[in-house]
Amino acid sequence: MSYYFAVIGTQDNPLFEYEFGTSKQGGDGQSRFTEQAHHLNQFVLHSSLDIVEEVQWMNGQLYMKVIDKFFTNYISCFMTGGSVKFLLLHQPSATASGTASATRNSTSVGANPTSPQTEEAIKNFFSEVYENYVKAIMSPFYKVNMEIRSPVFRQRVAAAGRKYL
Amino acid sequence: MASSKASRLGEEYVWRTRMDKVNAELVVLTYGAMVAQLCKDFDSDYVKVNQQLDKMGYNIGLRLIEDYLAKSNTFKRCSNFRETAEMIAKVGFKIFLNITPTITNWTSDGKQFSLVFDENPFADFVELPDDGRAQDELWYSNILCGVLRGALEMVQMQVEAKFVSDVLRGNDTTEMRISLIRYIDDELPPEDD
Amino acid sequence: MTVYSFYIFDRHTECIYTKTWLPQTSSTSDGPSSGGGGGGGQQQQHGPPGTSTSTSTTTGSGSGSGNTTMQLRASSADDAKLIFGTVFSLRNMVRKLGGDDDAFVAFRTAHYKLHYYETASSLRLVMLTDTGTPSMRNVLHQVYINLWVEYVVKNPLSPVEHKRGVGVKNELFEMALDQFIRGLM
Repeated sequence: MSYYFAVIGTQDNPLFEYEFGTSKQGGDGQSRFTEQAHHLNQFVLHSSLDIVEEVQWMNGQLYMKVIDKFFTNYISCFMTGGSVKFLLLHQPSATASGTASATRNSTSVGANPTSPQTEEAIKNFFSEVYENYVKAIMSPFYKVNMEIRSPVFRQRVAAAGRKYL
Repeated sequence: MASSKASRLGEEYVWRTRMDKVNAELVVLTYGAMVAQLCKDFDSDYVKVNQQLDKMGYNIGLRLIEDYLAKSNTFKRCSNFRETAEMIAKVGFKIFLNITPTITNWTSDGKQFSLVFDENPFADFVELPDDGRAQDELWYSNILCGVLRGALEMVQMQVEAKFVSDVLRGNDTTEMRISLIRYIDDELPPEDD
Repeated sequence: MTVYSFYIFDRHTECIYTKTWLPQTSSTSDGPSSGGGGGGGQQQQHGPPGTSTSTSTTTGSGSGSGNTTMQLRASSADDAKLIFGTVFSLRNMVRKLGGDDDAFVAFRTAHYKLHYYETASSLRLVMLTDTGTPSMRNVLHQVYINLWVEYVVKNPLSPVEHKRGVGVKNELFEMALDQFIRGLM
């Protein structure tokens, strides 16, 4: 299972990106994207912004679950009140998806990207990131739509990733 | 010992009943916005920003001392500089910021001490700009130095106050050094000609 | 109890505020009856010491001639200077005899009593009352806490140094002071 997380500003400008892998079930926290996927991920993620615009008015929730799918890439979205988007691209690894289809009712996080367990885990991840995002932008030296360079924020995103995904 | 405990309880009482409260985040954001604006106005000349903060603090201190004297019901002067330090840390910071910095590192002549801030309400959420200079040049909370300088000048003590370390810069503690330069004499009425 | 006058001196020894209340005992009043500037024209039996010298020259005239008002102003400025000189010397003498913590509180003459209060920031408040008045130290302390700090110091538009009284004579302070003192009488 590999993840690509990005924060997108109000003008659809990227503010922050971070790539990591699962830490559950003995995962080492490293992403397993292929060389090409690194660049592809950015396209996939940003192309889903159109869908975000459609979905965001549907139910008034900040967390919009999985909104888009591109082959085996699933995109979950969380939008802050200030319309800054948190997007998480998750890609079940080939072997994981293989076992998922084998054991149909697998409940492991990530094995089945649309299962309630996965949705819940991602929700928790987003909430924690949101909390830390608020702290990061409260810094007086941060300006709206500026790239988030804070190392503390990066650490905390990583920690949230380890904890929930 | 007993009397100092009584005075601390007294301060707690003053803090709870007679002080107007203000939302901490409002203070953090207001002060932060001010420092950030200064950095912008002075083109990230942090030495100038420090000076400016100190000046602002000085002007605040000149007035704040009166409020301090009124709220703390101070009737007499501190008899020595050690007592002054105690009052600054345990009464002054308590009533205005609700923190109590620790007093340490006295010099043997009793004219210099350090205030170590375990918490600094101004610095919540703050991360200094990562331009490679702010970490070495900007004293984010420098306004406090000015406040102390101004306030003490009004009660006839000329001091020098400056930060020597700050957790925002990656130091282990936030420490302010205060040195007494001299006691200011009473001004005499002008001679009648 | 009667309050005659009230003075504030700053740490530069300058008189930055003066206010006089005329004694209510005199019935032949045709001058301004409430605390105007430097003691309008009025006959008085046991007036405060400073103003009695000046008022004697302006007896019974609500609007004194230019000359007398000048005299009046000059003499009230002199009063302030004299008062400051007196309390300053007394305070220094008291400290010399009684140690640095000792404070001079009041003195009394046959005609009036002078109350003195000094803050740690070297602001000096002086009040002249009749002789029967008990200690006004607390009153002066209240004036400092509730009026001076609230209405003068905390007014962001008033300067820190009140040269020639700038910033002290604001409406809030004057009204509150007048009310407070009249409430005592």
